[in-house]
Parts: sequence; C-alpha cells; structure tokens
Amino acid sequence: MSAMPRVITAAAFLCALATGAQAEPLRIPVLVPITGFLALEGTSQKNGAELALRGSGVDFDVDDTATSPEIAVNAFERALTSGRNREDVVAVVAPMLGTQMLALVPLADEFAVPMVTVSGTARITELGSPNVFRFFPGDVVVKAAHARYAVEELGAKRPAVIFQTTAYGQSGRAELDRNLTALGHPAVIAEGLDVSVKDMLPVLSKVRDSGADALLLHLHSGPTALVVRQARAMGLNIPIIAGSAMHQPETAALLEPSELAGVCAESGASPISETNPDMLAFADAYRAAFDREPDAFALGQYDGVRMLLAAIRSGAKSSADVREYLSTQRYQGLAMTYASDGKGNMAHSAVILCYAGDSRVPAIVKRYENLTGVL
Amino acid sequence: MSAVLSSLTRRNRLTIVAVAALALYALFFASSYDQRILTLAGIYVIMVLGYQFIFGHAGALSLAQGAFFGVGAYVTGILASQYGTGFLLTFPLSIAGASMLALIVAVPVLRLASHYFALATLALSQLLLLIAVNWVSVTGGANGLPGVPPITIGDWQATRGTSLLLFVWGIAVAAMLVARWQLNPLRVAVFTVMRDAPLAVPAFGIDPGLLRLRAFVLSAAFGGAAGALFVHTNRVVSPETLGFGIMITCLTMTVVGGRFGILGAVIGALLLTHLPEWFRGLDEYYLVAVGVLLLAMVVFAPDGLASFFKQRRIPASPPGHAATGIEENATSVKTGVRVLEISNLSKRYGGIQALDRVDLSINAGEIVGLIGPNGAGKTTLANIITGIARADSGSIGSAGFDLTTATPTAIARRGIARTFQTPQLPDGLTVHEAVATAAANIGNTANKASSISARATTAIATCGLTRIADARCGTLPHGLRRRVEIARALAGAPHILVLDEPAAGLAPPEQAEIAEILRTLAASGLAVLVIDHNIEFLRPLATRLACLDAGRLIADGPLDEVLADDTVQNAYFGLVQQ
Repeated sequence: MSAMPRVITAAAFLCALATGAQAEPLRIPVLVPITGFLALEGTSQKNGAELALRGSGVDFDVDDTATSPEIAVNAFERALTSGRNREDVVAVVAPMLGTQMLALVPLADEFAVPMVTVSGTARITELGSPNVFRFFPGDVVVKAAHARYAVEELGAKRPAVIFQTTAYGQSGRAELDRNLTALGHPAVIAEGLDVSVKDMLPVLSKVRDSGADALLLHLHSGPTALVVRQARAMGLNIPIIAGSAMHQPETAALLEPSELAGVCAESGASPISETNPDMLAFADAYRAAFDREPDAFALGQYDGVRMLLAAIRSGAKSSADVREYLSTQRYQGLAMTYASDGKGNMAHSAVILCYAGDSRVPAIVKRYENLTGVL
Repeated sequence: MSAVLSSLTRRNRLTIVAVAALALYALFFASSYDQRILTLAGIYVIMVLGYQFIFGHAGALSLAQGAFFGVGAYVTGILASQYGTGFLLTFPLSIAGASMLALIVAVPVLRLASHYFALATLALSQLLLLIAVNWVSVTGGANGLPGVPPITIGDWQATRGTSLLLFVWGIAVAAMLVARWQLNPLRVAVFTVMRDAPLAVPAFGIDPGLLRLRAFVLSAAFGGAAGALFVHTNRVVSPETLGFGIMITCLTMTVVGGRFGILGAVIGALLLTHLPEWFRGLDEYYLVAVGVLLLAMVVFAPDGLASFFKQRRIPASPPGHAATGIEENATSVKTGVRVLEISNLSKRYGGIQALDRVDLSINAGEIVGLIGPNGAGKTTLANIITGIARADSGSIGSAGFDLTTATPTAIARRGIARTFQTPQLPDGLTVHEAVATAAANIGNTANKASSISARATTAIATCGLTRIADARCGTLPHGLRRRVEIARALAGAPHILVLDEPAAGLAPPEQAEIAEILRTLAASGLAVLVIDHNIEFLRPLATRLACLDAGRLIADGPLDEVLADDTVQNAYFGLVQQ
C-alpha cells in the first residue's frame, strides 16, 4: 500500500516526460551555401525555405555550407547530432551545390532523413537514395527545354555551348549535348569556363569563328552577365539562350535592359514574370521579408518546404512519415505540380523566358509541361 | 608511478593532462558532430606535420601541400569508389602517389628560390586541379566521385563517430612518431642552419639539396596520407580536395599553431577546425570573426601558439664525456705530408681575372698565411678550394682525390672545412647545437647522437667555449662568434682548415686567443690556410706566407722572406721600389 503513491508518482513523472518529449517541436534544419561563389543562388534558396517556415510551428536553424563537401557534412552532423533530439528532425533543406549533395547522400541514408533541395545536378537522384527530393527541374528537364527552344523555336542549326567547369556546369553541358544531338543539331563548339574567368572575349571569339547561329549558356550568375555584356559589346548578335542563372533578378540587374534584348533563359519558374494572385502574393511577401526580388530557386525551395509542411499537417511525425509522403503524394505548388518520379525528381516542367530589351523583367514565352511524363 | 610522474617536466605533465582531458571528452561526452570535427582535426594534424617539413624546417614556401593532399584523396577516391580497392592498399598507394609526384617535380622545382618556388608549386596545384575538373571519365569532373566506402579492414569498419575518430588519431599519432624520428634535435638544428646560414651547410658536408628533397617528399607523403583519410571521412572525392582553400587552411594552421613541432601542428589543426564551428552562431558574420581572431593570433604570436612552450634542445654532453674525435682525425695525416695541392688554377668573372694560374700546396701541421690587397682573389681561392665556386681551369687535389669539380658537400666530407668572412651562424641555435650540426656529416659510426654530441663538446672545448655552450649564437659578441665558427669547422673532423679573415674586427687579445687555438690545432697535424690582411696577426702565427695580387700568386715562402720581397712590398704595402 505504501508503495502505491510512489508508483503513481513515478508513472505520472514518466507520463510528463513523455508528454514533454512529444511537445518538442519538429525541426527542419536549413543547410545552404550563403557564402562563396554560390552565395547569390544559395541566399535565394535560404530565403525560400525561411519564408515557408516562418510561423509554421516548425523549428529551423540556418547553417552555411559554403562551397565544400566537408563543410556541408559538418553542418549536417551538427544539425542532427549536436544538442537536441535527433528524432525531432523530420527533413533537411539541403544545399543546392551538387558536390555537397553527393557527400550528404550517404549520411542522409544512414540517418534516414529526407533531404529537400533545388540542386540541378543530375547525379544526385541517380544514386539510388530514397532520401533525395529535388524541387527544381533537374538538368534532364530544363536542358531538354533549353535545347528544344533553341532548335525548335529559334531555328538554331549550329548552336554553340559555353558551360561552367563546375559540377553544375558539367552536368548541364552533358544534358545539353545529349539533347542537341538528339534534335539533330549537335553543338559546333562547347567551351568550358572557370568561375574565376572575367575576360570572355577569347571564348566569344571562338564562338564567332565557329559560325554558330545561337549561343547556349550554362553558367553561374556573374559569368552569365559578363558573357552577355561582352557578346553584345563585340557585336555578336546571335540569339543567346542562357541557363537558369539568367532568370534571376540579381543577374539581370548586372546588365542594362538594352543589353538584355534578345536574351532568353530556361528556368523552373519566374516568379516576377507571373501574374496569378498566388504568385503575386508570394512575390510581395518575399520582397517584404528580404528586400529583394524572388527567383525560381527561392520559389522551388519554398514549394519544397511547403510540401514538407503539408506532410506534417497530414499527420507525419517522423522522417519516415515525411519520406513516405514525399515519395507518394502529388503536391500543387506555386510554380508547378510536384510528384516523385521514383528517384526523387519532383519537378518535371520548365519555362523559357525572354527579355524584350526595355526592362529587366522577362516574359515567359514558352512552357514545357511534364517533360518526363511522370505527372 | 609517482617516480615516473616526478621525472616528467612541467610541460610534459601539462601535455599528458590536456591529452587525457581531450580524450575523455572525445570518447564519452562528444556528440557525433563533435567527434567528426575532432576527426577532421586529426587529419589536418597529419597534413600540417608534413607541411612543417618543407615550410617550417626547410624554410620554403611550398604551395603544393594542397596538391599532395588532393593526390592522396584522388588515389583513394578513384580506387575505392570505382574498383572497390581496400584501405590496406589504397592508403599506402595514396602516400606513394603523392611522394612520387613530389620526387618528379622536385627536380625542376627545388632548384628555384623563394617566391619562384612558391609560384612553381602553386602552378602544380592549379595544373592538378584542371586535370581533376576536366578528366571527367576518371575523376568524375567537377562533381567528383561519390560512393567512397568507409575505412574497412577485414570485418572491421570505421564509418564515423568513435571508431573513425580513434582510427584517424591512431594514424595521426603514428605520423607524429615518424615526424619525431625524422626530426631528431640534430636534424632540426641542421635545418635551422640551412635556413639562417645557407652558405654554411654545404661547407660542413651536408647537402642542402638532399635536405630540401627529403623535406619536400616527406611533406608530400604526409599530405597524401591526410588526403586519403579525408575522402573516407567525407565519402566523396571532388576537386575541392585540390583547391587552394585546402592549401590556405594548411598554411593558416601551420602559421597559427607553429611551424615547428608536434604541438604546433596539433594546436593549429584543433583550433582552425573548431573556430568556424564555434562562430557559426554569428551567421554571415562568422567568417569576419574567424578572420579577426586569426589576425590577432598571428600578430601576438608570430611564431605560432606553440612557441609559448619551450622547444627541444640537443642535450650537451657532460664535461667528462669529451671524445677525442678531433685529435684522431687531425693526427690521421702525418705532419709534413702534403694534404692540399693546387695547380695552375684560374678563374675569371666576366672581364676580371680573379685567379690566374695559381699554384699552392699545404702540408699537414702547417699554417699558411694568404695575404693580398683587396680584390687579389683570396676569397675566390677559398671558395674554389671549398667548392663554393668552380675553377675555369687547373686542379685541386687532396689526399689522393681530385676535388677540382667536387661539390662543397663532397669536399667537406674529404676533410676540408672553412669559416667565412662574416660568420654564418644561426642566431636561434645554441653554440652546442650549431657545432653539433657539423659533427653530423661524418659518415661512420660516429653518426650516433651521443657521438655527435661528444664530438661537438670536444670541438667547443678545443676553442675554449665550454662555458657558453648553451648560449644562443645570436647573443654572442663578434669575437666569440668567430671561435664558434672555428669550433663548428673542427667538429667535422677536418684535416685542412680554411679560415677567411678570422681576425677581422677582433681586438688584439681576441686575435691572440684565436692564434693560440690555431697553433694547437696545427701542432696536432691540422693543415691551416689563413686568409687575412692583418700582418700582426699572421706574423707570429704563420709558418709560411703566400701573397696574391690581381689573381696571381706573386710570392710563397717563409714569412720573413715574403714580407721582404719587393714585389709583395709593392703590391701589398704600396711601397713602390724605384
């Protein structure tokens, strides 16, 4: 009899502990490159995730992964094993840099934590991991749109390609090569550029000498602007169809509107070009929060995190639940409809947008829906 | 146990306590993330230990350590991820790959001086980076190669956490032992002389080229080992492992921790891996915070944080342990026997005939004074005898060996030692350490540390320097520095001693002390060639006098006869005989 109160007290204490444990908010660490050569795009990724998570009731910390796999793995381990309960982490917003993702995949598999990213590197969804979910059309999608627009819409027969010698650049170049060849017009010249190169005249001279009738770029933001400016300055007036970096308002801001005339770009979306009310509301909220224009990376990451939150709202309480939701459910985001192709590729549509030459806001000129046939 | 503890120095006791505390934290309190950072620190310790060889001890700013790290990383990354090769093979191959690369590039690169060497090594790094980025079929290009497996040995696997931490630090400890073995106090002293008094190193029989090569290859081997462990830790190999960022990290760790010693490597690696993590809370300002802190460290501890701790020293032999090495060597050539034969020696510098068909010989036990006006060719002759300069024609022979085209190192090993017009002594070494470096070149059983130390002690005693054996060279007055140079020359057990103006700048009592030392040495069979202007110094000392004028030997004979010679009077003293 005398033991009874102690048993009751102990049971009550255990219940309180259990209740306390359940009361811990779920966490979604945001691991993104906000310093280094990918800072511009990485900041967009961070902002998109942050905008979606604010006021959601889900805890999040932003951690810089810079541009090396080592720092990304550090950040991942720190987010999952340092301090708080690992089980609270239901998913991770993972960096958009391909080499970092390649390093994180084994860890994500070991911890069984799904990663949501906007990395375009094709390989990250080819490793057989069930934990990678890409909310930005991968190179397989956008490069198909990129090549098709150049050949089918602009009539390019002798396209030239300039790509960045980074993981992003090499991955896109391979897909461009494949698509252009399939369309019957392989690149007459393909030149790689290091991110540190500032003088584009040598490579542009080669393009001119090759007799190219269209220039396809797959470069980061700064180099894209430099190539466009120097191409126009040297009188190379063939159509330029750039990679997704050109759709970013920050890239356009580096150029005069007149220099942008006739320049197009592929992208998953272009929030500042859309006119539907939901997209306008997103753009306004983004501007109010971060004092800058939203781009497709921000929107893709926003949609990705919103789908995570939808999973939680639908009852997901663990990383396994979230992974199951992401793998099997279809989600209508602001940019497009997302669904996994079985490898974690969630985005299957792309747009082509072009600048008219009188402003830095591009117009969407072509939509390529469901290029993979998944939806 | 208490006896063992009481025998330890305060520094060692502190080190043991610090290591024990760190180990306890790492094994029982650290999170998986903390263990990962400590694991990375262990990898960087290995890299920095290697970098200390070339950057610290050899004093060469190599910017290739990142490249060696990357080569080790790629060898392991490619073999492990593409061919499933096991750690027991990939690890030694990574070390061998980096070492081989260092050997290959050493031939052209190590000849370059200072900033040219830095640029050449930087170019090597950039070349390897380009290869890694563009050779997509082998390296995976800019993406790199994922799928590097964890370290696996038999059934045991170090995926991450405690097992990987222990394994990496086990290798780091092994690297420390290798570094300690390679950098015994004597070799550290030799490296010091190479940095601070580069002319002196070949003059006492140590080949600076070989020293630099050893340092370069060792740095590469350590870099390769670190790179191999790095890819197992990150499970992917990518061009970042060859990037300049890794090189800068290594350089910063070495500068902040210290360019010399295990403690410097450990402090630098632990601090630099943890600093960015500690400041993560500052968001985008954390890099600024890290930069400011590093700047402060470099300003307030320019020799590295480890410099606050005392460095190892070569223990001086107890006074009663003086060996008889000098006497043995000096008397190994019988007094009166010709030990140096110079025939028809000529040397031209542009339009100046520095030496013109000079013939000169020296016998064992003889002190030959060499005089001549400024520009007569005295130092040129000393430089050619000791191999620092090469004669255009003529020959130099010693004890049956033709030394005309021999290297300074080979000549020193044939028993010809020298001193310099300006003493070439490293300020940071003690007298005993400085002298011991020359004792190390003697190629026989005497190379044991105890023998070297004893030989140095004897040379120091012969020059009357025993009471200042533990004083740093940089603190000594000019007269004592001259004697330390003579002691260092003697430590190499020479049978010919070439002294370039040993009395310059000395007071008469100091000159007398040096003269007395030289007389004692000659009496024991040493042949001495003394170049000096000071006739008052040479008159009671030299058994023979030779005079050079405009590169020609104008007189050679007994001192009084030469001084009385009209030609010498005319050339040297300016007394024109009509």
